[in-house]
Amino acid sequence: MANPVTQDHRQPAATGTAPVAHRRRFEIRSLGEVGALVVLVVVFGALNPSTFLSVGNLQKVLDQAATPLIVGVGATLVILMGCIDLSVEGVMGAAGMTFILTTLHLRGGVESPTDLGFLSFVLAVLVGAALGAVNGLIHTRLKVPSFIVTLGVWFVGLGIGIILFGTSAQPNLSDAAAQWPTRNLLGLPHSFWLAVVVAVLGVVVTRYTKLGRFAYAIGNNEDIARSNGIPVRRIKLYVFVLAGAFSGLAGILAILQLGQGTPSVGASGAAGSSTLFLTIAAVVIGGTSLAGGRGGILRTVLGVFLLTILNNGLLLAGVDPGYRSGVSGLVLILAIVAAAWPLRSRLRIVK
Amino acid sequence: MTAVTDTVNAAPPAPASTGTPVRRRTVTPTRVWQLAGPFAVFAILFAVVAILTPGFVGGNGLVVVAQTATATLLVALAQAIVLHVGSIDLSNAAMALFSAILLAKMLGPIGPVAPILAILIVGLVGAVNGWLVAYTQVPSFALTLGMLGILQAASLVVSDSTTVYVEGNGETVTALYENAVAGLPMMFWVAVLLAVLLWALLRFTVVGQSLTAIGLNESGALFAGIRTRPLKVAAFAISGVLAGFAGMMIIAQSGSASSTGLGSDLLLPAIASAIVGGTAITGGITNPINVVFGALTVSLIPIGAAAIGIPPEAQSLVYGLVIIVVVALTTTRGRGVVK
Repeated sequence: MANPVTQDHRQPAATGTAPVAHRRRFEIRSLGEVGALVVLVVVFGALNPSTFLSVGNLQKVLDQAATPLIVGVGATLVILMGCIDLSVEGVMGAAGMTFILTTLHLRGGVESPTDLGFLSFVLAVLVGAALGAVNGLIHTRLKVPSFIVTLGVWFVGLGIGIILFGTSAQPNLSDAAAQWPTRNLLGLPHSFWLAVVVAVLGVVVTRYTKLGRFAYAIGNNEDIARSNGIPVRRIKLYVFVLAGAFSGLAGILAILQLGQGTPSVGASGAAGSSTLFLTIAAVVIGGTSLAGGRGGILRTVLGVFLLTILNNGLLLAGVDPGYRSGVSGLVLILAIVAAAWPLRSRLRIVK
Repeated sequence: MTAVTDTVNAAPPAPASTGTPVRRRTVTPTRVWQLAGPFAVFAILFAVVAILTPGFVGGNGLVVVAQTATATLLVALAQAIVLHVGSIDLSNAAMALFSAILLAKMLGPIGPVAPILAILIVGLVGAVNGWLVAYTQVPSFALTLGMLGILQAASLVVSDSTTVYVEGNGETVTALYENAVAGLPMMFWVAVLLAVLLWALLRFTVVGQSLTAIGLNESGALFAGIRTRPLKVAAFAISGVLAGFAGMMIIAQSGSASSTGLGSDLLLPAIASAIVGGTAITGGITNPINVVFGALTVSLIPIGAAAIGIPPEAQSLVYGLVIIVVVALTTTRGRGVVK
């Protein structure tokens, strides 16, 4: 009898105060990022008013931002726990290949269309979730740092993708499915709406569910989280599974955007750069701490838009693709130095 | 009263004086494995490959592995010294490639000074990394990710997006590749020598011990009066210099350098090598000699897999699986939190 009562007391306290504090910090801290975003839009708008500020370009930017946004939600959750997930591109490859190899069969072609087409989505997301589970299980059970487990699973996922790719000719998604991401709903591309759904889901998970709140707690101090009765290993496993599933979904989307199957679909995404590094840079620029415990999904959304608009604007301004990585890198460094500047202290430890 | 204070006074020295010798004397299986694990893993993998394809040893299997392992080893050592202070450097492979491109450009005009200059330049880049990490207190992962982008762009600019060939004075560095000592190329032995030097630095010098202290407990090191910030800069600078040596080996091996050529994908194998070599990603536990075996193991996996007839499309899968298994076997587990 005593237990439920104490739990009832704790529950509102935990979910009631934490989001408020979190929300207030978000508004103050994110002004810098929002400001940077506005400056970028104004500068690029002034440089190329006819191309950059067109509706077509807005749709293109949103389409390009979709994959990193979906991956970013999972990556943020993992980073909030103080872990890291490097397997993103491998998982995208494995899930994407699963999708493209099953979708035509399950849809049954033009002659005998079936209603089983959705199964290929389910299968691909399940492949992603399974690889995420491998990440989580090896990390929590064998006590291998997440950095190196997910590095290994990156290669494993890529390997599965390569084996599925095989040596025979690949099905081409020349039908309506390939145009799904860029077709518009209410003026905005489908791919972006999908990312919005995932991002909203991520916000709900991080703010209002045990899973999300526990992820913050684990990232803040894993020992204290454990001694407070949080099932650390289980939560970590769930988060890695969720991140894997999101990567799988991103793999499907990237394949649809590309129109054909390739295991290295994550290495050169719609934005033309490595999905993994783009996403982690976006998470960090948004202000989520790599040490865990601080940050949030909406910050990552800001970070993704900052980098995507930067890339898009530089492209339209005629900057050589080779230099773009340098500019993105410089922006990343400036952003983190600016974020860390007020916190400097002789006794502060940053890894 | 006196009895109480006596025991209180006597108590602290007792564990302190017995503590260290006891730990050094007891040979627990864990400690033996920590010391010999990376070598054992390499020996076992090599034996498996040798048994399945007898021609591998008779041919120049080990030579090929040593050749491939050289640049990986140097970047892995560069990574290990940064991991040792509890940071990470994602830009050091890009530094190696950048220095290779610089070297290819400079070797013709300025000859033997070029390698030194190229190594110094990337050493300076490493120092900049370290300075930013130590003095602006930004996470090294994010900072060096940014530096990776900058170096990639710099490499493209310097090389004009093409392959840069060495024009003249090539023999200054290619000698490292062409000459062999004890059957293995000279450049591999240079890398091993650098590993031994790094080991001696960590084991016997004040700087090395201070770096270890920073890696094990940075707050503790700070409160013990260790100047942690200059030492972190030093660790990153050493990392840059080692990456510069890796660039030199790339030129020694191929005589040219490009942003997409030999050495453009060293980052992940090098991190894997450092960790397979028993380096703790949390810092403070590094054995550069074991990193040699880590690099040999990581280089052996794809070469050995091809030798025993694993189809090329399964290579990546095998690589990932073996890395996970080997790291699960050799990783140094503390009592603390695993992130």
